[in-house]
Amino acid sequence: MPTGIRSYNYAQDMAIFRTRAHWVWLGVLLACLFTGPLYWGNYWLGVANLIGITIIAAMGLNILTGYCGQLSIGHAGFIAVGAYTAAVLTNRFEMPFLVGLICAGFSSGLVGMIFGIPSLRVKGFYLAISTIAAQFIIIWVINHWTPVTGGFNGMSVPPAQIGRLTFISQGSQFYLIMIIVMIVVFLAKNLSRTRAGRAFVAIRDNDIAAQVMGISLFRYKLLAFFIGCFLAGIAGSLFAHWTGFLNAENFTMMDSILYVGIIIIGGLGTIVGPIFGVLFIRLLQQLITQISPVMEGTLPNLPAGFTTGIGPMVFGIAIILFLIFMPRGLAHRWSLVRASYRLWPF
Amino acid sequence: MNHRRLPKVALAIVITLAIAVVPLLSSGCIGAGPGPAPSGLKVGFSICYTGVAAEKGRPMGNAKLDCMKYINEELGGIDGNQIEVIWRDNEYDAAKAVTIINELMNEDCLFFTTNSSKMMAASMEIANRASFPGFTVFSSPVCTHPPQHIYGQMPDYGDDWASFATYYMDNIWQGSGKPKMALHLLDNPTGSGARDAARALAGDLGIEIVADEEHSATTISEMESLTRIKALNPDVLYISSTPQPTSIIVQNAVDLGMYPGVAIGCGHASFTSVLVELAGTDAEGVFGVYPTVNWGDNVPAMAKMTEYCQELHPDDYGNMDYITSWAEGLIVAEILRLAVENVGVGNLTPQAVEEHGFKKLDGFDAGGLHGPVSYTQGDNRLSKSVRVFQVQHGDIVPVSGWVEAPLIKYEDFDWFGQ
Repeated sequence: MPTGIRSYNYAQDMAIFRTRAHWVWLGVLLACLFTGPLYWGNYWLGVANLIGITIIAAMGLNILTGYCGQLSIGHAGFIAVGAYTAAVLTNRFEMPFLVGLICAGFSSGLVGMIFGIPSLRVKGFYLAISTIAAQFIIIWVINHWTPVTGGFNGMSVPPAQIGRLTFISQGSQFYLIMIIVMIVVFLAKNLSRTRAGRAFVAIRDNDIAAQVMGISLFRYKLLAFFIGCFLAGIAGSLFAHWTGFLNAENFTMMDSILYVGIIIIGGLGTIVGPIFGVLFIRLLQQLITQISPVMEGTLPNLPAGFTTGIGPMVFGIAIILFLIFMPRGLAHRWSLVRASYRLWPF
Repeated sequence: MNHRRLPKVALAIVITLAIAVVPLLSSGCIGAGPGPAPSGLKVGFSICYTGVAAEKGRPMGNAKLDCMKYINEELGGIDGNQIEVIWRDNEYDAAKAVTIINELMNEDCLFFTTNSSKMMAASMEIANRASFPGFTVFSSPVCTHPPQHIYGQMPDYGDDWASFATYYMDNIWQGSGKPKMALHLLDNPTGSGARDAARALAGDLGIEIVADEEHSATTISEMESLTRIKALNPDVLYISSTPQPTSIIVQNAVDLGMYPGVAIGCGHASFTSVLVELAGTDAEGVFGVYPTVNWGDNVPAMAKMTEYCQELHPDDYGNMDYITSWAEGLIVAEILRLAVENVGVGNLTPQAVEEHGFKKLDGFDAGGLHGPVSYTQGDNRLSKSVRVFQVQHGDIVPVSGWVEAPLIKYEDFDWFGQ
């Protein structure tokens, strides 16, 4: 809060947007975002859609890992559950998109709770192993439950449709995805300020102390798994309708690791962290994709295909550098920028 | 509003607009949608240069870019028009493949190609919805059944199985009754394509499928699955996979004393020089189906392809995937040539290229590198011929002439896609 601004009642104190400047910033951001389809091409809209879907999934993992401290390395598996739930419901049972979307969230959440049960007894590396098991078991089931999932051949997914609105173009999907992203971010922000959110943080910081204070580990750990995986399911549903075709190979172990990398880079336990992390990773991927052919063309004396290793190397180096120099992620850097803005121009 | 805040708000607007305009400037265009190519002949290549399929994607990417260089620099392009290539590394990642297909459409490419069934599966729904044609070098039946705007350069993994099974029954099987075949399949469409074909045709060919084992692309041992297979006493083992897992299966079969003894056949995704390098002498006598000629064969395109390969990518020499994608480059050029000839370079759209390029292919000879390339109504496989090869003294040697793989109407089977 800038100097001189104060709250006169509890509602003002709890408001997310507390000053006129906040509202102006929000308006500018939304105006830029929602006029994007007017001047972005299909390509950038596609990238924006992927970013939006990834933000939802990363937000879920951040609630689970960043807030509640339950490490999950099976997030891509939970996304797959949501994606296939939506695909099966909308394709085979011709149910509406919104029904598929909500059911995708709930099915992922329930599966997440099942795999979260070990978190009551184990934590840290041991919990990570149990979530890795989730990744492999879920993918195995998808591949072998052929009558439902299409097995290795995969299955097609119809475009998202709400009433008479069909979201086929990247532009129309952009609006759909961004609205859901905003809802998710808003809910996540509020969740972090609720009793449950504070319980998550207490469990993350010291679960024994939390239990002594009367926080039910059983309830809140499973709740964290449910919410984290619910959002993964929502992201999976949107991913399914975005690509139009599903195959279990789309949800790999590497993707699960990528999500952990995203929330580390963005900043664990913050709302803006996953957004920054996703923007950083996805735009970095696009940058590398764009510059590789140019570099190959302009540096013909180097061995052919030398750019092909840039992507994996940069990702690995970025993770290491962030862990060493910015362990609190981009979100912390953003908070420093905001702090300096409050004093600007002094 | 507080006057002191005005500069801050103005600054915020400027920064936000600047951030929002970056993609606009980066894309270099305003608006989107298919339309005539503004200049030249643009095609898009989505290549698996990195990722878990890089062992195949990289030589294929090198080959098609080398071939484009040859066509533009030595042949002067298509009727004097240079082919403009936009290539992207999809990293064998479905999400990235989706953004790439959007980019290729956004950049007014006339059509696109990719290497693998997975990458085509990730791209095809968006491409089909936009009537944006493309073809994939390696394909599973799901890419071209039912036929829409996606084509297969070569027979698919199911055709491989059908061709090998036919060859086996005609030339190798000496016993009486039905031979027992075990399948060892990669856990993705490469494997499932062969499974679907076996499911559709094994009964008609008089083959009994006794085992259906799966392996992953990163497998390090298949002793367990092969032990189960060995207990069933099969006559032939068919592998539809990529070179590295195939080499492990072959080596494990030797270790278990199964091979030699059973015949081993492979689909074309398995059968390259990499398999022979990895499996060494254990691969001796292994059969494989492949849709192209071999290095050194006396065909018209061999000399130029070899020249480019040895000059630009000597490491790829001997790799049959390079041949496959050099042929892909020649087919790309032929599609463009036909489209330009039929509608003129100024009137080209993706739809025009499909109607007057893809669908006008009729017996095109890709420099003799693989079978003739034709479009047949209802059959989106452009080349339908394969040959059977065998590893003999460390070399991959053809043991059959071209065999045309019959069209399997998968969509007529209730179980397909279920």
